[in-house]
Amino acid sequence: MNRRRMNKFAFLALCALFFAGTAAAKPGDTAKGKEIYDKRCTWCHGAEGDGAGAAKDMLNPPPRDFTSGNYKIKSSSFEDMAPNDDDIFRMIRDGMPGTSMPGWSDVLKEQDIWDLVAYVKTFAGYDEPPAAQVDFGTRIASSGESIAKGRKLYEEGDRCVECHGKSGKGSASKRLKGDAGERTWPRNLTKPWTFIGSSDPKDIFARLSTGIAGTEMPSFADPRSRKKLSIEERWHVANYVASLARTGRKVDAENTVIKADKVEGDLPGTPDDARWEKSTPSTFYLVPQLIAEERFFTPANDTLTVRALYNDKMIAMLLEWDDRTRSIPGDEAAEKLADAPIAEDGVAVQLPVTLPKGMEKPYFGMGDAKHAVNIWHWKSGAKGSTESIDLANSRGFREIEKRDAAGLKAKASYSDGTWKVLITRPLTTSSPDKDIQFTEGGFIPVAFAAWDGSNGEKGSKHTMTTWYWLLLKPATGTRPLVAALMIMGLFAGGLLWWARSAKPAA
Amino acid sequence: MTMTQKRRIHRLLQFALVVFGVYFGFILIFDVLLGQLIPRSLLTMYMVFVVSGALMAFTFTEEGAHELVAPIKALVEDPSRKRLRNAVFVIVPLLAGYYTYTSMSPGYEAPVELRTIHPAPPSKFKAYGKSYNLATLENPLRKYQKEGPAKYRELVKAGGDVYIKNCQHCHGDKLDGKGPYAAGLNPTPINFQDVGTIAQLQESFLFWRIATGGPGLPAEAAPWISSMPVWEHFLTEEETWEVILFMYDYTGRQPRSWK
Repeated sequence: MNRRRMNKFAFLALCALFFAGTAAAKPGDTAKGKEIYDKRCTWCHGAEGDGAGAAKDMLNPPPRDFTSGNYKIKSSSFEDMAPNDDDIFRMIRDGMPGTSMPGWSDVLKEQDIWDLVAYVKTFAGYDEPPAAQVDFGTRIASSGESIAKGRKLYEEGDRCVECHGKSGKGSASKRLKGDAGERTWPRNLTKPWTFIGSSDPKDIFARLSTGIAGTEMPSFADPRSRKKLSIEERWHVANYVASLARTGRKVDAENTVIKADKVEGDLPGTPDDARWEKSTPSTFYLVPQLIAEERFFTPANDTLTVRALYNDKMIAMLLEWDDRTRSIPGDEAAEKLADAPIAEDGVAVQLPVTLPKGMEKPYFGMGDAKHAVNIWHWKSGAKGSTESIDLANSRGFREIEKRDAAGLKAKASYSDGTWKVLITRPLTTSSPDKDIQFTEGGFIPVAFAAWDGSNGEKGSKHTMTTWYWLLLKPATGTRPLVAALMIMGLFAGGLLWWARSAKPAA
Repeated sequence: MTMTQKRRIHRLLQFALVVFGVYFGFILIFDVLLGQLIPRSLLTMYMVFVVSGALMAFTFTEEGAHELVAPIKALVEDPSRKRLRNAVFVIVPLLAGYYTYTSMSPGYEAPVELRTIHPAPPSKFKAYGKSYNLATLENPLRKYQKEGPAKYRELVKAGGDVYIKNCQHCHGDKLDGKGPYAAGLNPTPINFQDVGTIAQLQESFLFWRIATGGPGLPAEAAPWISSMPVWEHFLTEEETWEVILFMYDYTGRQPRSWK
C-alpha cells in the first residue's frame, strides 16, 4: 500500500516536471547546440561566436558578435546584459527583417533551437538567467490622446528627434556607431516593417526600456538618464512611434507598372505640387549593385517610390526616397555626419533607346552590346554648385557615351529625410535613333538606381532595381461606355421582343 | 422515352456542368497544379470551342434541343414566373454591358513574359579564357568525396565560405532562394533546397550557369533580366567547383550523372 502510494507520487512528480519543461524555455543541450551551430551559424557568426565568419564584411548590418554579450533585442531589464532564453529563441525562430538573419523554424525543430540558445549563451558566459525583467506595468492602448502625449515626449528636449528626426525617418543630426565600430543609422520609424524586433507597441516599449545594446540607442527606463520616461510615458511614446507608419510606401509585389495619368494643360513644375498626391505611386525595392566591379554590400537606401504624369508634349516623373542625409561634398555639417569622402546623392532612370519588340529587353545592368539604354542621372550638387542632370547612352558598364542633356530637366527638394526629384522630358526628341520616344498605351521597360553619398555610394557603388514598366495611360474616352450602353439596349430589347412574341395575348 | 425518365440531371444543368467543369478544370490544371497562369485570351478561345462543341452535342437530336431550351422557354412564357423573369431581364443586359465595358477599357496589367527556367545548355561554352565541353565536363574535386574525406570536408568548407560571401545575398544562407535581397529581383533567385533544381542537374550545368551568369543564358531564358552575375569575373575556377561541392553537401542532394 505504502509502496503504491510512493509510486503514484513519483509518477505525478514526473508529470509535473514534464509539463513545467514544456511550458517555459526548455533546457537546451549545449553539445547538440554546438553541432547545429557549427553547421548552420559559423558562416556568419564565426566558429568562436565572435561575428568573424567568412561573410563578416559583406553583411549589412554585420553579424552579431556573441562574445560581446550585447543582445539588441531582449526583454530583460536594462540593468542586466544577459537576455532571456526566450529572446534568443525568438530571434533564431523568426529571424530579423532587414538583416541577413533568416528565421530558422522551417529547418530547425523547436528543441534544436533551444539547444542553440544554450550554446550561443556560452560565448558570453551567460549561465544565470537575468535577475530583472522589463516592467511593462499596465499596457496603455493606443488612442488619439495617447499618441498626442507620445509625440510631445518624443519631441521634448529633442529626446528622440536627436537621432530619429522630427518625422521619424532617422534624418540624423548625429553620427552613430555600433559596437564593432561600424557606421550605423538610426531606424526609419515610418517603415515599421524594417524593425528587427517587431513593430508591436509592446516590442517598441521593450526597446525604449532596454535600449539597444551595442548601439547608441539608450534605455529610457534608466533613472539616471536625463531623458528618462516613466512606464506610462513609454507606452505613449510606443503608441506614437507605431502611429508613424507610412504603409502606402511599402512595396506591393503585384504593382510592377508605373501608371502615368494624362494631364490637360501644364504638368506640375515642382516636386511638392499638390497634384502629385492624386497620381498613383509605385514603390520598388532597391538592391545593392552586386553584378559588376566594384560591388557594393552596405546600402542605406531600401526603396524608391515613383509617380508619373504626362500631357501632349512632356512627361514628368517624380522619384521619392527616404535618405537620412543630404550629402553635400564640401559642406562641413554634411561631412561631419559621414565617413569621408562624401559624394553627392543621386538617382538615375534607365530606359531602352528603342522599345523592345516581343519580350527582348536590354540587359538590366546598363544595357548590352545589341541594346543601348538611355540613362538620366541626377546629382544633388556639391557645396557652391547646383543640382544637375546628365544624359548618357550606354551599352553595358564599359561603353558609356555622354550626351547633351538638353530637354531633360530636373528639380529636387530635400526635406526631413526625404528626397523628391522631379524629372521632365519632351515625349519625343529630334534624335529618335538615340532617345526613347514616349507613346501612349505601350509598356515601356524602366529601371532605377540611387546613391547615398554619405554612405560611401559613388560610381558603381549604388543601389538599383530590376526592370519594371512605365505606362502612359491613354485617356479612356467614351467608347467603352457607349458600346456598353448599346449592348445593354440590344439585350434588353431582344429579351422583351422574345417575351412579347412568345406570349400571344392571354 | 424511358431513357428520359431515367435521367435525373436536367439537360440544361448538364450543359452548364460540362461548360463550368471544363473551365475550372483548365484553371485547376494550369494555375493551381502547374503554377503557370493560363493566358486569358487563350482560355477565352478554348472556351468558345468548348461551348460550341457542347451546344452541338446537346442539340444533336430535336428532343434534346427542346429539352435544353425548355426551362428557358418556360421562364419567358410561364406567367407564374413573372418575378424571376423580370429579374433575369434586368440582370442579363447589365452583365452584358459590364462585360463589354471592361473588355473595351484598356488594361494596365504588366505584359506576361514567358521564360524558360531550365534552358537546354549549349554543347560548348567559353569561360576563364577556355572552351568547355558540357557533355564531358566533370567536377575535378568530386573524386575527394571517396578518395580523401578530410580533403573533401576542407573543400566543402572553402565552398561554403565562397557561398556565404557571394551567393547568400540572393539565394539565402539556407539555400532556399530567400536571401535578404531576393524580394527585389525578378526573376526570383533559385531555391537549391527544392528537389526540382540542383538535384536534377549535373555539376557541369551548374558550372556553366555560375561561370557565365545571367548574360550567358540563351535568348529563351531572357538573359536581360537575370540578376545572376558573371562569376568568372569574381571567382576562380577552383572556387566555382568548391561552391558546387558545398551546395550539394549542404542540401544533402546528389548531382545527376550520365552513369
